[in-house]
Formats: sequence, structure tokens, C-alpha cells
Amino acid sequence: MTGKDRDARVLALYEQVLEIEERLIPTGLHVFGRVDEERARVDMLRMVASFDRPEKGVRALTDLVAEGLGFKDYSALLRARAGDEDALREREEVDALVRRAVELFVQEGTEAAARLLETNARVSAEDTRSTFHLLERVCAELKKNQEMESLLRALRGQYIEPGPGADIVQNPLILPTGRNIHAVNPYMVPSEVATTRAEATAENLLERHLREHGRYPRAMALVLWGLDNIKTEGEGVAQALWLLGVRPLRDSLNRATEIEVIPLEELKRPRIDVVMTVSGIFRDLFGATIVLLDKAVRRVAALDEPVEMNFVRRHVLEQMSADGSFDEAAVRVFSNAPGNYGTNVNFMVMDSQWETAEALGDLFVTRKCFAYGRDSKGRAFEGREARLCMDRALSRVEATYQNIDSFEIGITDVDHYFEYLGGVSKAVEKRAQARPAIYVGDNLSRSSCVRSLEETVQLETRTKTLNPKWYEGMLKHGFRGVAEIESHVTNTFGWSATADAVDDWIYAEVAKTFVLDEAMLERLCQLNPHSARSLVGRLLEAEGRGFWKAEKEMLERLREIFSDLEDQLEGVA
Amino acid sequence: MKKRELNISVFYVGTSLLSPLREAERAINRAYDLNLRVAAYNFGAPLAEDDWLEAVRDLSRADVVFVIHVMDGENASRLLIELENQKRQPSAVIVINCMPDLMRRTRMGRLDFAQLFGSVRARDAAERRSRGLAARVGAWMGEQARSSAKKRRSGSHTQYLKLVDRLPSLLRLVPSAGKLGDIKHYLYLFCYFLQPTPANITSMLLYALKHYVTDERLKVEIKLSQPETVPSVAIYHPDAPAMFESFAAYRKWYAHRLTKKDSKPLLPEETVGLLLMRPQIVSGAHRHYDRLIRALEAEGLSVVPVLSTLMDNREACERYFVEEEKEAKGKKQSALPRRARVSQIVSLTGFSFVGGPAMNDSEAAARYLSELNVPLRSVVSLDTQTIETWRESGTGLNPVQAGMQVAIPELDGATEPFVFGGIPRGGAEPVPLEERCERLARRLRRWNRLQRAERSEIRLASVIYCFPPNKGNLGTAAELEVFESAWEMLKRLDGEGYSVEVPGSADELRAKLLQGNSESFGAAANIAYSMSVEEYLKLCPYVEEIEKEWGAAPGEINSFGGQLLIQGAHFGNVFIGVQPSFGYEGDPMRLLMAESGAPHHGFMAFYTYLEKIFRADALLHVGTHGAMEFMPGKQVGLSSSCWPDRLTGELPNIYIYSVNNPSEGTIAKRRSYAELISYLTPPIESAGLYKDLSALKELLNAYRRTQDEDERAELYASIEQIAGGLNL
Repeated sequence: MTGKDRDARVLALYEQVLEIEERLIPTGLHVFGRVDEERARVDMLRMVASFDRPEKGVRALTDLVAEGLGFKDYSALLRARAGDEDALREREEVDALVRRAVELFVQEGTEAAARLLETNARVSAEDTRSTFHLLERVCAELKKNQEMESLLRALRGQYIEPGPGADIVQNPLILPTGRNIHAVNPYMVPSEVATTRAEATAENLLERHLREHGRYPRAMALVLWGLDNIKTEGEGVAQALWLLGVRPLRDSLNRATEIEVIPLEELKRPRIDVVMTVSGIFRDLFGATIVLLDKAVRRVAALDEPVEMNFVRRHVLEQMSADGSFDEAAVRVFSNAPGNYGTNVNFMVMDSQWETAEALGDLFVTRKCFAYGRDSKGRAFEGREARLCMDRALSRVEATYQNIDSFEIGITDVDHYFEYLGGVSKAVEKRAQARPAIYVGDNLSRSSCVRSLEETVQLETRTKTLNPKWYEGMLKHGFRGVAEIESHVTNTFGWSATADAVDDWIYAEVAKTFVLDEAMLERLCQLNPHSARSLVGRLLEAEGRGFWKAEKEMLERLREIFSDLEDQLEGVA
Repeated sequence: MKKRELNISVFYVGTSLLSPLREAERAINRAYDLNLRVAAYNFGAPLAEDDWLEAVRDLSRADVVFVIHVMDGENASRLLIELENQKRQPSAVIVINCMPDLMRRTRMGRLDFAQLFGSVRARDAAERRSRGLAARVGAWMGEQARSSAKKRRSGSHTQYLKLVDRLPSLLRLVPSAGKLGDIKHYLYLFCYFLQPTPANITSMLLYALKHYVTDERLKVEIKLSQPETVPSVAIYHPDAPAMFESFAAYRKWYAHRLTKKDSKPLLPEETVGLLLMRPQIVSGAHRHYDRLIRALEAEGLSVVPVLSTLMDNREACERYFVEEEKEAKGKKQSALPRRARVSQIVSLTGFSFVGGPAMNDSEAAARYLSELNVPLRSVVSLDTQTIETWRESGTGLNPVQAGMQVAIPELDGATEPFVFGGIPRGGAEPVPLEERCERLARRLRRWNRLQRAERSEIRLASVIYCFPPNKGNLGTAAELEVFESAWEMLKRLDGEGYSVEVPGSADELRAKLLQGNSESFGAAANIAYSMSVEEYLKLCPYVEEIEKEWGAAPGEINSFGGQLLIQGAHFGNVFIGVQPSFGYEGDPMRLLMAESGAPHHGFMAFYTYLEKIFRADALLHVGTHGAMEFMPGKQVGLSSSCWPDRLTGELPNIYIYSVNNPSEGTIAKRRSYAELISYLTPPIESAGLYKDLSALKELLNAYRRTQDEDERAELYASIEQIAGGLNL
């Protein structure tokens, strides 16, 4: 290994360590109505202060400091990975200064913090005022909590104020809580900001795929949820449009009801075929958006363009020549049957009710093969069962993708990511006869970033499940904390079941941390023996299903522990 | 002699015009011995191809075209193209209150629309005057069509309606001939349209025929009456002989009515304020309103139904729903608390509270309603789809209605998105959905009880979850410590005068739920009640439907010894129940179904228990999220056959919800009529480094710092060793 290679490896490792260290995680659970005085604020405030919020005239401290120090703009520093030692050093300098400023803000207030930045980064207090003002507001709101008062008011039939829903970093206006949260006006989606950010993410994704696979994916399956599309005002929707090579257009009422085709000369890449599997919730909340997405696919499919530059057209023509009409061939938006929600893949996994891996992908298609949109005569079809259409559409897919948008709701925090992204990937694997590349878009950070599913599972496991800061935070809550740990292990297991995306070491580390550490196991059993047993059982199931090649000794030990736990719980009964 | 054939095409949005148009068609044919055909198309939602082709056929024969209130991008752009393509141009195209591109398509004689509403210099006084009038009307229409306007002069609606009242007399001064004639005609048509009484709509059509269709007989014979006027703001009641412009007059009438008809006086604490669409009242298309009003009164509630000041309902509210401030000398106005005359507001308009159909200023709405502290309910009339399509649809409301009439009012804090009426297939005016009106009225009465009853009498059914269903998961909720939270609630409710037995600690509370008698039933939690099948059959009207899917009651889930088990525990007047699961456990066949048809018996029995045996006054769902709101049924605009509607029953539903999950929260809001109370997410911190990760970072930094090759090589060896151990 040359010195240069070694340097590069060191920098890459360093970036990875930094990524783990900096990632925000929830530490514990909330108690309704309670003000958490101990709430550690610096990390969160730093993140709040790291976003530009033009609508409030707030600029990111990181950007101001980078400018003040005469560096490239901060986003460029973030992008310059892959062994650029100078950029890394500059970025660390900016981060350290911002951290000190926010610490000072928490200890002494705005003035001291602003002065620090003035002295050390030549950023005028004028420029940082609105940012610190925002932080002041966040701190003030966190010192009180009106949830209980709102509940009492609701119980007296009084008016409960509406409010947006998101996490604090995304949108500090969610404070105060205790309000009646709402979705968005579907006609506003996607917003201009969402469209801009989506272009960056989608290009990022395509670049990565091109780099690793030598060509663009001809078709992708996107998972669209209401959760992130509400909070990002439709970044997921805008990504789909961008992959197709179109932009949303607004009508005279400023509603996104039309699309505009981006000419190939401008696009400079082929139009990607996209299969959209949308959640039942997205279907309910974004009916008008589904019409827009469906319209976009049909428009693109009908363009008179060479098929090697228009994969939608290519696939639609292929299918039409085999059999079927344009209407059948151009269906790309799939969801549940009307009035139904979810893929059931999560239930099947958690309840261990499947035998072959295929069954999970097939179940996904069974639940999700209902087409939404309009036919070429303008007639709406609201959930027409279209299994064959979906099978065909998925058979061409080479990459699958979903956004995550919040520090609190990650891919191992809830069962819904593996049921959707995992489910669709498993369905593709059988129909395309190849496992697709699976990507997760991370919209939490300043620069949008696309990771492989495997990388994301590792990052989540390292920052949450295996991280003492995380699990001790959970264990403060006793019974519920153990259930949370168990649920993270099960959700991780879900990624084995649906996507083979979990390395052996992850299971081994989980076993070492929670089961083979006697003191820890004792604690878990004291607090919640039922969940402790489920956790050990899940590890054994992972091994039994071949997801984990466990060392023999470890496995035997786990089996002993499991049967002890069974006995204890039986004894209790 | 063959009657003269004439065709008028009307493209409009809403449900108030169709019935007066039909009437007008009949009246005109009778009076003038014509063969007039009025073809009307509701442009509220994009037309399907067959309807569109028919509309185009009608358009090609039309002598006069009216385009009214059309804001929808797709219909509008298709119509624009068609208007352009007509080989035989109609004699007049009259566009009122539409998006700008359509407004510009107005064609009436020599009228240039850009000039009409523009600022071209007038050459004489008469022209100046008529242009001035047109400009004011135009400015108002512009406001209606603009969606992004944030600032708006308050009171513009009333001022504008006043102008409309005066317009006919002002117009008399404008010469009918010459270049100003067309402006005058446009404004006249506009006056008729704005007060769409059947007589005015007839006049509107006649006016257009008289002035724009080449027919000497009609030109001479058609006699036009001046536009009828209707008060701009008023209180309407189906039993009253006329509308009331003052609240005092209405109150008097209402009290008088009491003595004769045994109704109730207007006590604010039991009065519901309703906001009605003005055009529906004016045109006489208000049977669905009347039914809802009577349903509320049948529940013992009083009503103040007022004409909505569409663009800004604060005007109507201020005038009729708020007591006039007493003249208090020496006191500052703001020191006087404003007292509401109503305790709930129900908007039947289906639009935002401030901003009307095309925009919304939800901040202003929330500010106003918070100050008044009266809850807002927004209910839906099916205006762009028929009752039959709604009934048959698995989806419920179409995207246009779901967006405009549900999603936008939600931004104002509105709840209870009930469908209460709509146009039946082939019908000309909206009719009520009887059962929905009654259900809604009963729900509002239940809310009213929460407002008025002694707290010690209020019975609360709180619901927690256990997912996936096993003992370890009791109290599942995203980001929330459910037992601590529930314990805090009990303590607080106790302090506020509710009858609560508060356990000694959160742990005690959990133990009571988790252990109790659970083992003897083999259940995950304490069993608070065993319901016999007989009782279940008696109390629940849906059992037959459930049996089709799950077999005979009690079934296998949440049952024991032939009884249905209700999991939970009583804490005085507060019951904490454990919601049953979907019922997929150990049932792979059920999991594999693309569509599910009904909740299982145990699930239904649980909610039946809460409403009919525990006799709860309200539901309180604790944490994100349960299964009930995801049960089969329409997605929004539920009917009585939708399961969440049946399970929620008549009970007000208050739902503690993670602030970070507005999407699933909105499902609860729409499908189980929940009022959400957001809770904060847990503190977030940087993950930091632990175990060997910290050591690795130090080594990496040491490597970066040194330039010494030997040292680097040595460090690198350690780095790889640690990294290997960490699987990096």
C-alpha cells in the first residue's frame, strides 16, 4: 500500500468516524407535558443554527463562519470528501467555532456568542442576530410546555390552535407543542425549495449509481410517504419528477397541477423510468399530487425521443408491442386497495410467518398493486387492481430508493421502512431476477446525501442500537426502554429478511452488548423480561434463518439463556 | 311555426347555480316561446373524457357562453383551447370571477377586457365613471382569483357587496349605446349573477340574449327587471319568514318561536354558529343546510346560521357570533373580554376561514379563533362529485374536494370533516345525507356536553396500545413514555376536579394494567370487563358484517371462555384500555389478503364497551399510533359503512400525537375525527463516540498531525487493527 493510498484510507476512516460522532440521535422518551430541564441543548441548537431559513431571514452560522474565515462556502466543504485534507481541516475549524459559539450562547446568551464570532470569524453581530434570535425562541419555548394545558382545554371543548408537524431542527415553528398538527395543502407540493433540493439529491443518486454500476439505472422504484413529503413540501415528489426529466408547473392559482418537460439537451442524461409505490397515507393526503405524477409519466412516455434516452418510452413501447394498451403500459403509481393501508410485510416479519424470502416480496405486491391515476380519456381510476402491470414495472427495476427525513424516525426506529423499501426491493429481486441497488436518501443533514442501505443500517446501528448514549437513554425509562431496544433489534432483523442488508458483526455486537453481558441482561430482565426474551429469540431466529453466521460458542450460550428466560417466564405464570 | 332554437353553455363551479339555471330555462321558453337549451357543466373537478366531449359539442352550438368561478388549471386550459378553436364563435363569451387567462377570453361586442380592467385614460366623465366601476369590480375579482395575496383589506367583502347593491342605480347613468354599452352590459350581468336568485339568473340569461343574440323579436320583447337584492350579511333560518340583518331581531324571533314551538332560547353555551354559503341561500339551494340545522335543534342545541362573508369569515363572526362590546367609558377596549354568542362554529362553506376558495390565511384564522376560543368544525358538501360517486367510491372525496375542502380548513384548526350533503346524480340542487347530518349533530352535542358538564361527571376512555401484541410491548407509542405520561395526566385531571383514582406511581399504574388478573385469562393485560356474546349482539349493530370475515362471535382474539375480553383498568371515571391488535397474529392467510373487510370482534367489542357500557364522554388516544383509524373505509369523507366511523361512534376523540408525525396524525384526524394534541419529541444529541471509536479517532488525528513516515506507518498499523475490530 502506497503512502498515498494509506493517507486516503485514513481520511476516509476519519470521515466515517466523524459521521458517526456528529449524527444526532434521540436520547430517551418524552413524558407528556413535562419540561425536561436536563435537556442537552447544544447539539440540537447547533443543528438548528446550521440551516438557512430564508423565509425568516435566518442564515446558517456554519455558512457565515466559513465566509468570515475566507473559506469556500460551507456546502462545498461538506461535499469535498474523498481525501481532501484541506477541506476537512477547514470544515473542522468552522464546526469547532460554531460549537463554541452555541455553547457560549447557552451559557451566557446572544451577546457573548455574537462577540465570539465577531472576534474569531469576522462575522458581524448584525448578520448573526436573527439566527441567535431563533435559538432564543427555541430555548424559551423548551423551558415551558403547554401540552397538559392543551389537553385540558380540549377536554373542555375549547379551540386548539393548529400547528405544523416536524422535528425541531427541520422546523422550529413546531413549538409550542400541544397544538393540533396538520398536513399541507397538496396543491403546494412540490415547493420550489423542494424542487431545488430534489435535483441535487437525484443527481447525487444517479452519479453514485453510474460510478458503481457503469450506467444509469433504467428503472427505479421509489417509495413515497406522506411523512417526509409533508415536512419537506414534496422533495420525494420532486425527485420522481426530476428522474423523469420534468419540472412541476404552477397554474394561475399557484397550484402545482401541470408539468413541463426538460429537453434532453438540457437534461444531458436519459429519462429514468420510475415506479412509484406510495403509502396509503400519501395516497390519502396527496390525491392531487398522484394525478400530477401519473400525468408526468404519461407525458414522458409519449415523447418522440430515442428510446436509449427515454427509458419510460422504451419500456412502454416494449410492453405495447408485446400486448396491451398505452394505458396499461404507462401505469406507474401503485398503492393499497382503497381504504387499506400498509404492506403487511412488517407483520409477517415480526410474527415470523414466512418461509421463503420470496413470500415477503409477493406480499408487498399483493398489497400494493392497486393503480392510481387517470387513463388517456381522463377517467380517474382509484385503486384498480393491476398486479400484472406492477409485476412488469418492477421486473425492469435496477435500483430502489426512499428518503428519510428525521433524526427520530430512522430505518431501525420503526417497522415501516423495512416493510416498504425492503418489501419493494424483495419484490424486485424476484421479478428482475437480480437484487436491486438499494439507496436511502438522507435529508437530515445540510447537504443531502445518498447512502446504500447497508451503509445506513451500519450507521443507524452504530449511532443508536449499539451506542451506550442511546440505550442508556432508553433504559432510563425502564420497561418501555427495553421494549424500544428490542424493537430496534427486530427492525434491524427486518432488513435481513427483506434485503439481506445486515452484516454478521451487527448481530454479534447486539448479542455481546445486551445478552452476553451478564449485568446488562440482568437489568433488561428486571425491567421487562418479556421484551428481553423476545430480543434473544430474535437473535436466534436470525441465526436460524441464515441471516447470521454466529460463532458456535456464542450461539450455544444464547440458546441456554433463551431457555432460562423461557423457564423464568413460565415460572412466573 | 318552428320555435327559435337557442343554446347557452354554462361552465361553473359549485352547486348553487344549476337549479336556478334549469328554472330559468323553463321560464324563458314559456314566456318567449323559444327552444332555449341551457347546457351546464360543473367544472369543480376535471371532467372525464366523455363528459368533456359532450361539453365541447354543446360549446360548438352555443350562442352565448358563461364561464363562472372556474379556477381549476386543467379544465380551464382545455376550455381556453376549445374557445380558441371554435369555428363558429358564440355571440358572447361572458367570464365572471375566473382565473386571469379565462377572464381575458371575455368577448362581448367591442369589449376589450384588458382595457376594461386596465388603466386606459378615459376621455369623458361617463367613460371615467363606468371604467371606475369596472375597475373596482375587477379588482375584487382579481382578489378572488389570487392565491398568494397575503394582505387583504378587511371589510372588502362587505364594501364590495354594498357597491353591488348600488351598481344598478349607478349603471342607469351609463349610456347603453356606443362603446360604453358593452361595459355596462357586463356589469349588469355581473349584478344579476352576484345575487343568484332564480329571478336574477333568469334575467341574466335574458339580458345576454337581448343584447347579444341577433333576433329582432327578442330585442324588443324581452323585458328586464332590475336585479333583486338580498342582504349581504344576514342570519338565515329555515323557519323564519325572512332573513335577519340584526342579531337582536333574530334573538327576538328565536325567543318568540320558543313559546310557540317549544324550542330553546339562545344561550351561548349551547348555541352552534353556522357559516353558510351565500349563493346557496340566495338561489334557494339549501335543503342540506336546513336538514343539518334541524338535526342540531333536534339534539337540543340552538343555532345561529349566518351568510358567510366568503373571503373573510371574521366579518360574519364579528357581527353575529360575538357580543357587541358594551360602551364602557374610561376602560380600554382591549380590557373587555369579548364574549362569544356561540360555543361551536361549523363552517358549511368548505373553504378556508380567512381567504375564501382560492387562498388561505391560516395564521389570521388561528389568531382570531384562539382569541374567541370557540372550536371550528368544517363540514363538506359534495359539490364536485355526486352523492352516488361518493357512496360507490372506495376513496370517498375526490382529490379536488379532499384538497380544497378538507386539507385547507385543517390548516385553520378545523375538525370533524363530515360529509353532510351533496348533489345526487342527475339532480339540480344539493340534498342532505340524513344519517350523516344526524350523526354530526349528535357528535356536536357530545362536544357540547364536554363544554358544559361538571368535571366530576365526565367519563374518559383513554386508549393505549400494545404492538406487536405481547406483554413486553404494553404502552407502545412513538417517542413517548406512556405510563409516566398517563400517570401525569391522571394526577392533573384529579387536580382539575375530575373523579380519578390516582395510583401511587407510574410503575403502580403499569402493574395494574400489566398484571392484575391477566394471567387467569391468558391475556396480555388486565381484563376490566368480560362481555357476553349476547350483550355484544345486543349493543353492536355490525356483528353480521364482522362475522362474514371473522366467523361467529366471540372469535379467537381477545376472547376467553366464550366471552369477549376488554383489556384495561379503571381509575375512577377514567378508564385506561388497551386497544386490541389488527388480529394478524398466527394467521398468515389473513395477512396475505389484499384487502381487509372488517375489524375482528374483539376490536369492535372494545369500542362498543367504551361507548355503550363504560359510557364514555370522550375518547383519549394516547400516543402515536393505534390501529383504529386505519380500519377499512373511505379515506376521507366517511360514510356510515366505514369502520373508523363506526368505531369512533359519537364520541369526541382527543388524540395525543407526536409532533413529528403529521402524516399519520392527519389520517386520525380525518378518519376518526380526532383532535390532535401534539407532544414534543425526545431530546436529541450528537451520537458521540464510544468504546474503541474514541480511541480510533485519536489515532487518526495523531496520524493526520505527524509528517514522520515511520510514525505514520506505526500508527497506521494500530489504526487498521482497531478499525478491523470495529468492522470499519
